[in-house]
Amino acid sequence: MEILYLVKIGEILLKLGNRKEFEARLKADLKRRLEGSVLRIEYFPGRIFVEAEPGKEAFVEAVLARTPGINGFARARRVEKKPEAVFAAAVEAAREAAASGKARFKAESRRSDKSFPLDSYELSRDIGARVLEALPGTKVDLHAPEFTVFTEIRERAYVYADPEKGVRGLPSGSQGRGLLLLSGGIDSPVAGYLMARRGLGLDAVYFHAYPYTSKEAEDKVIALAKVIAGYTGGLTLWTVPFTETQMRIKQRAREDLTTLMMRAAMMELSEKLAFRVGANSLVTGESLGQVASQTAENLRFTNSRVSLPVFRPLVGMDKEDTIELARKIGSFEISILPYEDCCVLFSPKHPLLRAEVERESKAYEELELGPLLEQALKEATKLAVPFGVPVAAPSA
Amino acid sequence: MTYLDWASTSPPDLGLLVEAAELAARAYGNPSSRHGPGQEARASLEAARARLDAVLGCLPGAAGGAPGGAGSGGAVSGGAPGGAGSSGAGRVVFTSGGSEADAIVLLAALRKRLAARSGAVHVVASSIEHSAVYEELRLLEGLGLEASFVDPGPDGLLSPASVAGAMRKETALVAVMAVNNETGAVQPLAAIAKAVQEASKSLGRRTAPHFHSDAVQALGKLPFEPAALGISSAAFSAHKLRGPRGAGALWLGAPLEPLQVGGGQEGGLRPGTESLQGAHAFSRAAESADAALEANLAHARTLEARLLDGLARIPGALALPLGRTAGDGRYSPFILSAAFPGLSGEVLARALADEGIAVSTGAACSANARKKGRRVLEAMGLEEGLGFSAIRVSTGPATAPAEIDRFLETAAALYRRLKT
Repeated sequence: MEILYLVKIGEILLKLGNRKEFEARLKADLKRRLEGSVLRIEYFPGRIFVEAEPGKEAFVEAVLARTPGINGFARARRVEKKPEAVFAAAVEAAREAAASGKARFKAESRRSDKSFPLDSYELSRDIGARVLEALPGTKVDLHAPEFTVFTEIRERAYVYADPEKGVRGLPSGSQGRGLLLLSGGIDSPVAGYLMARRGLGLDAVYFHAYPYTSKEAEDKVIALAKVIAGYTGGLTLWTVPFTETQMRIKQRAREDLTTLMMRAAMMELSEKLAFRVGANSLVTGESLGQVASQTAENLRFTNSRVSLPVFRPLVGMDKEDTIELARKIGSFEISILPYEDCCVLFSPKHPLLRAEVERESKAYEELELGPLLEQALKEATKLAVPFGVPVAAPSA
Repeated sequence: MTYLDWASTSPPDLGLLVEAAELAARAYGNPSSRHGPGQEARASLEAARARLDAVLGCLPGAAGGAPGGAGSGGAVSGGAPGGAGSSGAGRVVFTSGGSEADAIVLLAALRKRLAARSGAVHVVASSIEHSAVYEELRLLEGLGLEASFVDPGPDGLLSPASVAGAMRKETALVAVMAVNNETGAVQPLAAIAKAVQEASKSLGRRTAPHFHSDAVQALGKLPFEPAALGISSAAFSAHKLRGPRGAGALWLGAPLEPLQVGGGQEGGLRPGTESLQGAHAFSRAAESADAALEANLAHARTLEARLLDGLARIPGALALPLGRTAGDGRYSPFILSAAFPGLSGEVLARALADEGIAVSTGAACSANARKKGRRVLEAMGLEEGLGFSAIRVSTGPATAPAEIDRFLETAAALYRRLKT
């Protein structure tokens, strides 16, 4: 039997003027991500059909689950547009779902080909009856079903049960490219994921303060970049040496300003890098009030060092919500590895909470970081993190 | 490479490894077999045991209460009263290493607890034990054992009275290491053993608890005669004294009921077909270290003085425990911790590694678990910032004075540059 996936696309459909462009992007993106793992990809309005190479199911599913612009997908049966063929496929789909212990179900049908002899209501009704007859123990439950048998009568008839969710959002790169400030922590990878699903392509920048931060900390950031690359379709990770800048701040800045000045320097460096790589925005994992540098006043100050928009998708999120998302995308276990992303020795005991732009800007200027930042940018290294998704080894 | 991490492991003596491998290939029989090859292997294994017995001063007829030679300081010995362990010469049980030797003793306490059904089994241990003892005890606490941990003083030394004071009527085991692996503090085992004996009496007990000592950092470095100390058992590891990994021993001067029995090898205490290769190489390494003990100790004292002198010249740097001076017999001269306030020990160790100098932060085994890494220094009541900034320098017989100088110069320069 062919290994066919029915893929639903979502928000793109709402775009009137440039829907074609969005679709073209998703097509190209999907083609690239699935290359070598599929026999064919077919595009229809609102639906994409992907036929996987035998043995590549796990990879294809992992890709579909991570590609922005996809609302959901399911293994589907493609049959002739004849009621009997549809019923038989529906019973098989239900049998598979019921095999995992599920019993309460409903049937849902869509008929875009009006020449099909049954309308969608009749089709659902008859499928329900056939399933009940073939699978004793199942029960119709329209309100809280444990599984749903979907039927779509289109160019052909498609039957599937239990679709998987996609990440939704907009196709990769449809919103240009942003630069993610990636640390080894829990927040920034989640911020990257959230912006990636909004269609923002990403590059990432990591500030490495060797020897204060270890090689292991850098490896951890690379591992996190790989997780994000699964959503963005690949990215470039820039590592900017930050030790000299950090030392200068430590030496010259008032103690309660050190964190704030470091954040400002990172923003300035990121923007310079963004211009160099053609990014249109900066992305950070900051959340309002989470730490001292993330008060409204302090965010205003760090913003004042840059002109690009700074996207902070976690700004209104609770830490628990962020952790939940981190677990979902698979970054949490990496983020909690015990390697510091920023040396605690540099953190003041009582950091300034309410920065004043004018006053703090003056303090920042007095650090004379310019040449150090230029040098850091010159010494920045880049690493191509290719697209990839985690796939468990096939069981023998 | 300037290797100043001998307390983590020592470069093995290649000649010994080859010799042991050849022996193991020649005497390939199972020592438990009655046939010729088996008996040949048995003979070699017993020869290895006799060698280690001799090093430990527990050859049949040579044991019992003899004070160990105090040597040039730092001797883990002294005129000990007859303790639980000194009733005879004791015996050597080959193990896979120090951790296993410790575990045999700790798990015997668990067996006692399981057999007791009701009634508590209590263990007293120092809070600065190596993870092989400390973490295992924490685990056993969850399995029903009760444990009391005793802190050392700011000098890193346990007071006999505080160990004795933690004892209860149902205390089955006391565990105090011989030489601390981070500070080099040589614990007064004989005095502690004596205090334990006396406390037992005043608690109205018929017998004293089993007194175990992890002596991994003592053997082959300082005079160490377990039978003379009044302890019941001691754990050793081969790779700390130029022997191979995967070989160690438990010296036992008192009966013990092990939790693992298997095929009953090693007097029923350590099941599993014996590693002749490991036992032979270990015994030969211990023999060599013992023969050169005085010379090596004198060499280590010279290095220690050089190190302490140099540290004193680095503004801000501090030897730990605070106030440690050269030639102080309370510390093993092979091990020295130093604090560089304002610079994380981990960062300094990393920067030194880049310069080709190997040191460590705390125990190598605990360096992975950052939160646990500073347990020993914190137990001494050391301010957190100081413990955080500490590195451990440990030397061996092959360490040259020039290496100490190179370390001092490099550490001073890095400290100046990286201090925050």
